[in-house]
Amino acid sequence: MRTISKKLNHEEIEAFGKEVDALREEVMAKVGKEDADHIRSIYKIYRYTEILGRGLIHFSFEPISFVAGSLILGASKIINNMELGHNVLHGQYDWMNDPRFNSRTFEWDIVSDSHQWKFYHNYMHHTYTNVLNKDHDYGYNFTRLTEAQKWKPVHLTQPFTNMFLAMNFQWGVGAHGYRVEYMEIPKKQRKKKSLKDYKAVFFKKIELQLVKDYLFFPLLAGLNFPKIILGNLIANLIRNLWTYAVIFCGHFTENAESFSVDDITGETKAQWYLRQLKGSSNLDGSNFFYTMTGHLSHQIEHHMFPDMPAKRYREVAPRLKEICAKYGQHYNTGRFVKQFASVWKRIVAYSFPDSIAGKLMGNKKKYLEPTGLLSQPSFQISLPNEEKSATLI
Amino acid sequence: MKTFPFIYNEPRQFLSSLQGKQWADFLLGEINPRFSVTTIKAKVVAVREETADAKTIVLKPNWLWKGFRSGQHVPVTLEIAGRRVTRYYSLSSLPKDKYLSITVKRQKGGLVSNFINTNIKKGDVLELGDPTGHFTLPKTLPSKFLFLAGGSGITPIHSILKQLAANQFKGKATLLYFVRSFEDIILHSSLEEIAKSTGWLEIKYIFSDVPKEGYDSGFLSKEILQKYTEDLKSYSVYVCGPAPMQTKALSLLEGIDVKSELFLLPGQTSSKVKKTGTVDVFLSLSHKTIQVKGERSLLEELEDQGIYPQSGCRMGICHTCVCKKAVGSVTDLSNGEVSELGEENIQICVSRAESNLELEL
Repeated sequence: MRTISKKLNHEEIEAFGKEVDALREEVMAKVGKEDADHIRSIYKIYRYTEILGRGLIHFSFEPISFVAGSLILGASKIINNMELGHNVLHGQYDWMNDPRFNSRTFEWDIVSDSHQWKFYHNYMHHTYTNVLNKDHDYGYNFTRLTEAQKWKPVHLTQPFTNMFLAMNFQWGVGAHGYRVEYMEIPKKQRKKKSLKDYKAVFFKKIELQLVKDYLFFPLLAGLNFPKIILGNLIANLIRNLWTYAVIFCGHFTENAESFSVDDITGETKAQWYLRQLKGSSNLDGSNFFYTMTGHLSHQIEHHMFPDMPAKRYREVAPRLKEICAKYGQHYNTGRFVKQFASVWKRIVAYSFPDSIAGKLMGNKKKYLEPTGLLSQPSFQISLPNEEKSATLI
Repeated sequence: MKTFPFIYNEPRQFLSSLQGKQWADFLLGEINPRFSVTTIKAKVVAVREETADAKTIVLKPNWLWKGFRSGQHVPVTLEIAGRRVTRYYSLSSLPKDKYLSITVKRQKGGLVSNFINTNIKKGDVLELGDPTGHFTLPKTLPSKFLFLAGGSGITPIHSILKQLAANQFKGKATLLYFVRSFEDIILHSSLEEIAKSTGWLEIKYIFSDVPKEGYDSGFLSKEILQKYTEDLKSYSVYVCGPAPMQTKALSLLEGIDVKSELFLLPGQTSSKVKKTGTVDVFLSLSHKTIQVKGERSLLEELEDQGIYPQSGCRMGICHTCVCKKAVGSVTDLSNGEVSELGEENIQICVSRAESNLELEL
């Protein structure tokens, strides 16, 4: 993997970490009523859109209101999963001490079980972001996205398997969860439980979701049940496509880097911050767009401060960008279409063996140098801050 | 063989997955913030000023309120800066009153008591829990009562006195009310009215800070007790007040039937925590008690003992290890802050035990 960021020495990395820490502290001190009000209004929107969506699907007698209902239900599920679910399950609102917004009690409208998800996402993915063989979200164990992953003929199919995953993303997320949880559970605790037990947790949640969307609500409609089933299918499909698109833009754009286990041995908090920056990419857009992505549009900020109430990322972003510029670090951001296209370029390019993949990806190669989080400490005498920043830019 | 949809779930689990209660709460709450099917919510119908630094909040609860007994206290939950906080307050009204009331005195540095006094107004909605406490009247009333109240400890005693009046009490009762100054007397007019209308109640105010002519001054002592009582053993004694008064009363009244209720203030308690080598941690879900040293994070110390709670990043970011602390105080290792003793969620990977703990693990 290559980087287009300036290589920093130890002192610079620690200084960078300190500035990020200071930024975090400053913003976290402001967290309060405003954030509580925000998540409550999101909760309200989610409830009302679900009523409206299901109501329209149920009582529609012509295609327009039916499609509108399906779209609104899809949006409701997106809000439930992203701005509400994802962020609540990160513990961003645990401080409110409200069971509706507590990471331990929240359950979301998706086939992935929240406890399994918290394990492999909050812990595995957020701690070992983009570390090959550690972060199971890096390509979800089937997509090759860097030369560091060995090419196999099966990777030729990855553009198609990814299209399939995009449409069925919630199933991918759920099925991924139990396997990761089982594999990563320390052997001591694994003894008593088999893989089947972990699978059962997932299947339990699947059953609940299927019954809700494809049995309970259709039955309420009596003979009209096929219409309700179709409406729910469309809503789930919309949610799947959207979440896939947003999440893949988070770590798999062109300049998002990957790391090896060696890169992170003895990693300090500052180096961890830097890795989060290099491994994530943002999306630019409107406030409405940000909310609909659950603020995963601010993937970099989210990865540095996963437990900060997500709306705060909007005020963090410009300041973090400044810090990155000061240290010569690439801040990966762009419009949605551009970023998503770059993800697909990578998916297609790396489906081929390295020689072809290199050519497809290689146009920027001459500016790149190897990733090096742990570069050797340089012999530079540490300069006063202003001079240091001047030399860095 | 089980067939879909009953392979993995019981019917009850399907029902709860539909979140019927949450839906009902949401919709009812949109109609009226007091309505709920899960929580006792109460609307503030009046705020009365008792003294310069104490207010009585009159509350109209929803249908989930099942009543209480005089002298009991109730957990009151309100939101301060987006965060739900809970404190216990004695009910100062009578069980048969139409509305219930709590009387809250400002405590120095007290988050909730000051918030209630400054910010709570008519129309606000608070959450209540079920009333608890054994500081209540026995089924058969004794003939003589001695009440010792200190500061805001008067509130449950006030409720008990009103209850006695309502029960047509025929015996004798003495109230010794220790308070800073004449102006600090809480529920003054109401107390006087009970004394005047019933005739069995004798009230003595004793001022600790600002003496007043015609009244005693000082703290609870043997002399004061002897001055206003004859044959202590014949009394049924109720004590409610701050910790020093409580301790004093219990030592003076050794061997006598005493019901007492302690008022703990959040600020007072955390400074009292002393580490004495090891502390006990009770794990309520696994019904285990273990000893930890309180030197490193709870998570590490639990793991040393072979207990592996859910954990993740071990640096306070992933919140995998968040667990409910029911009782006890911890230090947040990330910022050195010492927590309160009450119920709250903590990240055990960055929390160090300060006192005996009860964790939901």
